[in-house]
Amino acid sequence: MECAFDAQNLISISLRKIQSSRTQRGGIKLHKNLLVTYVLRNARQFYMNKNLSHIQRTQQYEDVAAVRERQEYLEITGSFKELTDDFYCNFTGVESDSWHCGAHQPNDQPAEVAHQDASACAMVSPVSDSDLMVPEACWSCVEKSAWELPVPNTTNQKTVLDLDTHVVTTVTNGYFHSDCCAQPKQPQGAHYYTKKRKMDTNYYIIDPEFYLPDFGPVPFKRMRADEDSNGDSDQLDSSNISNLISVLGSGGLSEFMSWQHTDLEQIFATQTICLKQTLLTGSGWTRAIEAF
Amino acid sequence: MQWCFSQVKGAIDDDVAEADIISTVEFNHTGELLATGDKGGRVVIFQQETENKNPPQFRSEYNVYSTFQSHEPEFDYLKSLEIEEKINKIRWLPQKNAAQFLLSTNDKTIKLWKISERDRRPEGYNLKEEDGRYKDPNSLTSLRVPVLIPMDLMVEASPRRVFANAHTYHINSISVNSDNETYLSADDLRVNLWHLEITDRSFKFHPHQCNTFVYSSSKGTIRLCDMRASALCDKHSKLFEEPEDPSNRSFFSEIISSISDVKFSHNGRYMMTRDYLSVKIWDLNMENRPVETYQVHEYLRSKLCSLYENDCIFDKFECCWNGDDSVVMTGSYNNFFRMFERGHRRDVTLEASRENSKPLQVLKPRKVCAGGKRKKDEISVDSLDFNKKILHTAWHPQDNIIAVATTNNLYIFQDKVI
Repeated sequence: MECAFDAQNLISISLRKIQSSRTQRGGIKLHKNLLVTYVLRNARQFYMNKNLSHIQRTQQYEDVAAVRERQEYLEITGSFKELTDDFYCNFTGVESDSWHCGAHQPNDQPAEVAHQDASACAMVSPVSDSDLMVPEACWSCVEKSAWELPVPNTTNQKTVLDLDTHVVTTVTNGYFHSDCCAQPKQPQGAHYYTKKRKMDTNYYIIDPEFYLPDFGPVPFKRMRADEDSNGDSDQLDSSNISNLISVLGSGGLSEFMSWQHTDLEQIFATQTICLKQTLLTGSGWTRAIEAF
Repeated sequence: MQWCFSQVKGAIDDDVAEADIISTVEFNHTGELLATGDKGGRVVIFQQETENKNPPQFRSEYNVYSTFQSHEPEFDYLKSLEIEEKINKIRWLPQKNAAQFLLSTNDKTIKLWKISERDRRPEGYNLKEEDGRYKDPNSLTSLRVPVLIPMDLMVEASPRRVFANAHTYHINSISVNSDNETYLSADDLRVNLWHLEITDRSFKFHPHQCNTFVYSSSKGTIRLCDMRASALCDKHSKLFEEPEDPSNRSFFSEIISSISDVKFSHNGRYMMTRDYLSVKIWDLNMENRPVETYQVHEYLRSKLCSLYENDCIFDKFECCWNGDDSVVMTGSYNNFFRMFERGHRRDVTLEASRENSKPLQVLKPRKVCAGGKRKKDEISVDSLDFNKKILHTAWHPQDNIIAVATTNNLYIFQDKVI
């Protein structure tokens, strides 16, 4: 079975599931949607951490404190286990060793192992056919510097879905970094994340499947390349977009907000799903949905 | 223990009509009756033959006893939502008189059905002709007492109670209390307590007789509540939770730890929970970890992303105990189902398929090849058909007879009688 499992794809797939659940016969299935939001949250955390490590490497967006922090961390020599722990963080964004890349780690491997080529990375992972949680960075030791950064607190980051250009973007410290999303898995692996795009240019359009009206058929649409993006975005019906807003806002997911159940209160205490329209100053965007 | 094919019920077509998809299977307390519910809102009840006319190695067969339309599709105008007629659960009430009673539920409404036999009919009415037309009373010259004459057995199902409008969310389970007067219904966020005689109210806060019930949360914890302890039942009396293994953490950890089924053992000492990849047996006196864990299809752990994409990861598998709690059974994909013999630590994978459906054909154990070189007769993980899933299984309360539901067929297997 083939699947593209990077975090961005998971986010896209999950959003699509939430949207399609609105049109399923019998109404929104609460439990299933709850489980989908767990995946969304986990994917988002992972995605944010990877992005932040990338951002902190680039000179343009670093502040002095971040540079110092990075330098301090680079001086720490750690085991391979600690490095792989950087792939994930727990729900509050604090570094935690409770996540793994799906492999059962043997005794602490020397850090040098991580610096070898990708095949060496594969060897330390006993579950060799596990394509579960091995993100691109695991296989590309070129990106090892991303591993070496501490998993930061991501409270100053937000994932934003722009309704006009349909790009999922990470907002950090007031700066926007538009990212591709809903792309098929790139064979070049981690290098995919190193692309930097400025605002307002060369946006990829995410699969607009979920902009279609509730009760119509949902035809599959191909991903469109950047060249087509600007022209095609005008064709999208504003009613479809407000449809999406209602899905993510006052529609099915608003029920989540009013749950009284103990479990759910705990969930939302730690990781609130916040969907609202945000007016973003200093950008060319007029409407966006802020997710999480 | 070897298992043999006994019967298969349902259409042979590969083209499955959605209404025929089986959604629940349940034996009654004696095992004489076997009920199935489907997506079309129908209930089919099979009855085991009382006289075994067959040679000793055959167990009595199950034949159709009654079929009725339990639920119809409805429309909630307020929410603009269609309410599916699919039968989510059937639960038998213990038999108190000649009639049988069962509870069936769809997403919103629970119904109590009375299934009764009629094998005699009255004849010789004074005021009615044989064809039912009414006679003119003035034409009567004599009176007679109508007599009951035998007729072909007719099984009637009549709704006796309708319990509605108590669940905002989709009802996912019902459970009859051992006091035979009350039952519980649960949706995603709420558990209601009903009295079988009272249909307009459910007693969420009413302390009733000594009863414990259990509900599981989507985070993989199981709560045991004792209604003696508190009227509100918001506090659990026991919380069963196994700490997560950090080496297995993934994007999908919450989904695969979500519990799809909980069953008490017959002796009341244990309970079994089913999550996506495993079956766990809990001692009710030990809350911090299960006493036994059985991996159902661990080879799927590396495929979770694909299973998430195609929605299979949300499949809710059921599990069941055998009569003496020594064996547990649950379903898997490719029409496989698994049995775990607790005492002997043995497990077997069997398949429900039309190819293995000759009478008394012994089922050959199947094996899935998780990786490496595939041996002969093994199936590789990539060849598994994820559209063929066994979600619903039931075990006869006393005998080694099992009912296994594939998408639209019901297979009945029995153990090999030597």
